[in-house]
Amino acid sequence: MSIKLGDRSYQERIETGIENDFMRDAVSSAQGRFRNGRITQAAELGDWEDWRQLGSEIRTHTLENLDYYLQQLSEQVAKRGGNVYFASTAEEANAYIEKVITEKNAKKIVKSKSMVTEEIGLNQQLEKMGAEVVESDLGEWILQLDEDPPSHIVTPALHKNKAQIRKTFAEKRGYNGSDSPEELAAFAREQLRKDFLSADVGITGCNFAVAESGAITLVTNEGNARMVTALPDTQITVMGMERIVPTWEDMEVLVSLLTRAAVGQKLTSYVTSYTGARLEGEIDGPEDYHLVIVDNGRSKILGTEFQSALHCIRCAACINVCPVYRHVGGHAYNSIYPGPIGAVLTPLLDGYEDHKELPYASSLCAACTEACPVKIPLHEQLIRHRQIIVEKEKKSPVTEKIMMKGFAQWASTPAAYKLSTKLARTALKPWTKEDTIKNGPGPLKGWTNVRDFPAPAKQSFRAWWKEREKGEINHDHS
Amino acid sequence: MKVSLFITCVSDIIFSDVGKNTVEILERVGCEVDFPAAQTCCGQPAYNSGYVKEAKQAMKQMMQAFQDSEYVVGPSGSCVGMLKEYPAIFKDDPEWQEAAVDLANKSYEITQFLVEVLGVTDLGATFKGRVTYHPSCHMTRILGVKDAPQTLLRHVKGMEFIELPVKEDCCGFGGTFAVKNPEISQEMVKEKSQHVSETKAEYLVGADMGCLMNIGGRMRREGKNVKVVHITEILNSHEQGGGIA
Amino acid sequence: MTIHNQDAFLSNVAAHLGRPRRMSGVERPTWSVRPQDRVFAGYSKEELVAILKKQCKAIHTDVVEVSTAQLPKALLQAIERYEGKTIIAAHDERNTTYGLEALYEQLGEKMEVHIWDAQLGEENQQIAERADIGISFSDITLAESATVTLFNHKDNGRSISLLPKSFIAIIPKSTIVPRMTQAAQQLHTSVEKGEVTPSCVSFVSGPSNSADIEMNLIVGVHGPVQATYIVVDD
Repeated sequence: MSIKLGDRSYQERIETGIENDFMRDAVSSAQGRFRNGRITQAAELGDWEDWRQLGSEIRTHTLENLDYYLQQLSEQVAKRGGNVYFASTAEEANAYIEKVITEKNAKKIVKSKSMVTEEIGLNQQLEKMGAEVVESDLGEWILQLDEDPPSHIVTPALHKNKAQIRKTFAEKRGYNGSDSPEELAAFAREQLRKDFLSADVGITGCNFAVAESGAITLVTNEGNARMVTALPDTQITVMGMERIVPTWEDMEVLVSLLTRAAVGQKLTSYVTSYTGARLEGEIDGPEDYHLVIVDNGRSKILGTEFQSALHCIRCAACINVCPVYRHVGGHAYNSIYPGPIGAVLTPLLDGYEDHKELPYASSLCAACTEACPVKIPLHEQLIRHRQIIVEKEKKSPVTEKIMMKGFAQWASTPAAYKLSTKLARTALKPWTKEDTIKNGPGPLKGWTNVRDFPAPAKQSFRAWWKEREKGEINHDHS
Repeated sequence: MKVSLFITCVSDIIFSDVGKNTVEILERVGCEVDFPAAQTCCGQPAYNSGYVKEAKQAMKQMMQAFQDSEYVVGPSGSCVGMLKEYPAIFKDDPEWQEAAVDLANKSYEITQFLVEVLGVTDLGATFKGRVTYHPSCHMTRILGVKDAPQTLLRHVKGMEFIELPVKEDCCGFGGTFAVKNPEISQEMVKEKSQHVSETKAEYLVGADMGCLMNIGGRMRREGKNVKVVHITEILNSHEQGGGIA
Repeated sequence: MTIHNQDAFLSNVAAHLGRPRRMSGVERPTWSVRPQDRVFAGYSKEELVAILKKQCKAIHTDVVEVSTAQLPKALLQAIERYEGKTIIAAHDERNTTYGLEALYEQLGEKMEVHIWDAQLGEENQQIAERADIGISFSDITLAESATVTLFNHKDNGRSISLLPKSFIAIIPKSTIVPRMTQAAQQLHTSVEKGEVTPSCVSFVSGPSNSADIEMNLIVGVHGPVQATYIVVDD
């Protein structure tokens, strides 16, 4: 996989999403739970806005000094016996990882959930070279068995129900139990435990790298990331270059924001901070450690008005409040990064050509901006994207351009505007019945296909005001 | 106090009663209201669609129209929220920057103006009926006005108020979103309509005609008998016996 | 150990940031707010224990509070409740301080009790894999989230709290702090002093869990499926 999931058109994806009742029920109920969890946890802290402010300040400072902190991080990791590889592109990252795997003559690789490895298409590369790759996060494992892409960045298999999961386990792994979630999870535990113990290489992503000491922090509930980092002798961390904080103290603040914003927990069951190779005499942890720091288009975002999109800590709070996501689901975005943050990041990382509809897949209700724990102005960035699509990419429809030119004329010429307030009702008369338009012309059609449009008032406000000024209407209220 | 009415294009052309009620309320609390006739549209349809150059033409017109005003008050959180964005939009334009800041600083949504500037919470209104309230997204999240409308509604006599489930969810209007992404917009407004039905309210109240036109249009299409009213209509209602014809 | 492509990569980052590369002299600013310091500030140990106990309910973890003298008995009860046949515990000097050595010796007669032994190499992992119960002392305990912080090292393997089906954490009351803030400060101070930080710091809050199947909470996935905390009044 890469950032883009497939070749279906936007319209097709939207329709498939809307028609998928199970998915929509699942997403809707998940959003409800996530939202309540986040709101309860935020309320318990009492000063959530201060936390957001702090999170935003930490992320802003870190990104502004990213070169400095990445240098510090890489030196600390090297000091602790680790190798560091700076990869400008997905290809470079994959090639380095392939080289490590070849050198180790590794056959089996266990992974814990990582969006950046999805982004660079690592699994496909490793499988091409004949290695067995096992995703160990329960949701990711389900998707891997089913060859389905993730639809959410925290709970990737949100769109699947337990009956579908039971079927997948039965077909792919000979499972013959029920579809109770507990039994399914117990089966996954048993199956994956063997993989953890026999894997040659462990690969993880990174929630937060601590520059001052070289520690990589992973935030999980299942414990799979601990397995991946404790058991195989060779371990590789793949991190997007922005996933870094200056110190342990800053890591703590962002973890506190992440667990609350993502899943409504004070902390997840496991927050694991590991540093480099195992120390003298230790048995758990890798003897050979590699950190791969990935750019893959991120540096182009630095120094632009989109820089704060790199503050993202991948909590999915924006996704969990988004009404558009609720109705169309994650796959409709056709990106491994769905929802509002996906609509912002995807065109930046993968270009506008294939993703030009995404910035418009938002009513600009700003629920995302309000939910973001590090204060990324998501809806404003969507507007910026639209501006770029119109002005630089020139990908907006011709009819829209004409309409907007007309709008500018109308709204900057009081006489023209005034005339329209007089004529609107008459102009729409052919479509009006009982003061209602049910089948409007042109751009109104999208509206009236699903709802009524009211006929303009018999007398515009300004006409009424003029009459009133002339004393034709009574002012007195007493 | 001198107040200039910012009618908003939607209320000027389609829902002129909203303007009348706003004027009457303002006059009742002692404001001297004027209506600068050079005003047009705040520019939001173009701005939110990415047509910043076109939007700026509308915005400049608005800055000129209101240049002599002391306060600018409008019956829409969304349109007033747009005025509040002008300083950011014109920050690199020395010619217009000052006017943008000036207009943003003196502009208020009507309920915000009543509660936050005038300190009025009870307009002495009476309204009989079962009412629920949809807090519009731009009003609450962009303008940051959450309490003022509900504070005013709480003081209306005779009204039965029912909280709208998941009220903070967008209704699916989103300006050009409703016509550009009609399928998604439809699902959103269907859900909102469903939530309104759950309250069994006779009246859906809001402070933004865009959202109300969307929800109301959907409910009419579904044959639902819920009346959609702008908050000023309730706040300006004094008949004993209440209700709206 | 090697660092590849650092200069080209970081120079590119600096170029996009529109300034020369920063190699030194970057100071963290004073943040405008510090809400983390206010959480349970000035709380007594007893008050923090109460918060911890309450949070244990939320994370499906049993918790008992005992005196030092009662600890061996409480631990034995927990082991029996989990029907432990094979036990693995960290090689911790606190085993002696708290009189657990005698208990482990006594238990060793009827079940397999293994104290982590770095000399045995990978055998430790194999024992942990077949063990029913892993036992560790908490190094710093976070009241807010009911979290035990484990500084893993050669005598306290990561596997102990990870591979067995059940996990028992012994929490000396003196290790309890309000929240993760204090643990992070300790680690930050340690870095500033130039000390070698642990190769792994594990913040563990109860048993493992997942909500990946239809958002149902499943307690017990890859890590332990059940957990008990024993708070010891030291």
